[in-house]
Amino acid sequence: MKHTLKFLTRLMMVFLITAIAVGGATSCKSKKKLAAEQAAAAYAKKVDQAKGDLNAIINRTSDWTVDEQRQRVADIRAENLDDPEVQKLITMAEKEVDFQQAELDRKAEEERLRKEEEARLMALRSEYEVFDNQFKAIAGASSVDQANQQIDVSLQNFSSPDVPVLIIISQVDGINDYDKPTTATQFLNYLKDVKKYEFQVESMKTDASGKVTELELLKKW
Amino acid sequence: MKKIAYLLILVFGFGITGAFAQDNLSPERKQAVDSLALEKVRDLSKYISIIGNKETPWSEANRVIDRAEELFMQGSEMGVSSLNRTEINYYSVRNYFERLMRLNYNKVEIDWYNIEYVSDLQRQPDGTYVGVITIFQRFRGYDKEGKLVYQDTTKKDITVYVKRKETQIGGRLIGFWDVLLGDIRVKETTI
Repeated sequence: MKHTLKFLTRLMMVFLITAIAVGGATSCKSKKKLAAEQAAAAYAKKVDQAKGDLNAIINRTSDWTVDEQRQRVADIRAENLDDPEVQKLITMAEKEVDFQQAELDRKAEEERLRKEEEARLMALRSEYEVFDNQFKAIAGASSVDQANQQIDVSLQNFSSPDVPVLIIISQVDGINDYDKPTTATQFLNYLKDVKKYEFQVESMKTDASGKVTELELLKKW
Repeated sequence: MKKIAYLLILVFGFGITGAFAQDNLSPERKQAVDSLALEKVRDLSKYISIIGNKETPWSEANRVIDRAEELFMQGSEMGVSSLNRTEINYYSVRNYFERLMRLNYNKVEIDWYNIEYVSDLQRQPDGTYVGVITIFQRFRGYDKEGKLVYQDTTKKDITVYVKRKETQIGGRLIGFWDVLLGDIRVKETTI
């Protein structure tokens, strides 16, 4: 009886040790698997996020600036995601960012040139305004003598009294229609006669001494 | 034979229409040409007023006569009427301006108003645009006491010719519209 009891106790011990050993090993294996699964899920999420962001950049649906887009593509590249689609999208996104940058650069250059042209025209306009004002003074002179004095002053700006004066009567579809060409003297006397100046200096050519050699006016209807 | 004739008319008819259509001006450009011709008539009214004004210095009046004459086609005539006679006299424009300068009044006022087209500029086969502009002229003559001794209002029709021409200026070919006035005919004269 005593012998049997001893045998049963030993058997119990063996069973317990086995159960503990087997149970412990199973639990360790589950934890590793879980960690691996979690890592795989995180990686998949990262890949999905990368694909989403890259597609948004390529399709121009993101709210990011060009610099922010460039940074995001660089970050994704640095992640070294082992996914062929991501690699392909990175290349496409880099091209798109480069294209957008070139577009921005082109627009900035166009804007710079536009401002430069505007400034040039402003400078010309103010130069032309001197002439416009002289012509207005002739048209608005209170007497023939006063108008003649103004004409003499104005003629000093021309290289000769016979300088051609061209009057544009319409500018449609890139075609300039002109009135019959006249001369500086005749035009200035015309202003004196009709007593109105309904023109605007459009352009002028000058010689080395700055005297006008050709004047182009736009008729204001 | 008749059928062939009709066919030829049809073919050439469309051909001619097509050629004209190519030369047709856009409405915007035509508008500018219309306005230019009206402007020349307004210029003439200013010149007539200056020439007739007794206060205009002789040299100025002669200069303006030259400018005014340049507005006309060669050989154009100006009709002159009076309430004191039934007939209308026609003078060459130069003769008219010189007579106007020497009118026997102490002061003369001439105003043109209601200047407008009665017949729009129409393109002719030779490319010239021809139209008729009507004007009303109010004439007042005063004696040396400043008393109004004669006045009338005359309706006149002016034929206008506009042709596209080209000239070289500074090495550039300039296409311009040459507006010339023709005869000025008296239509009616009233007080």
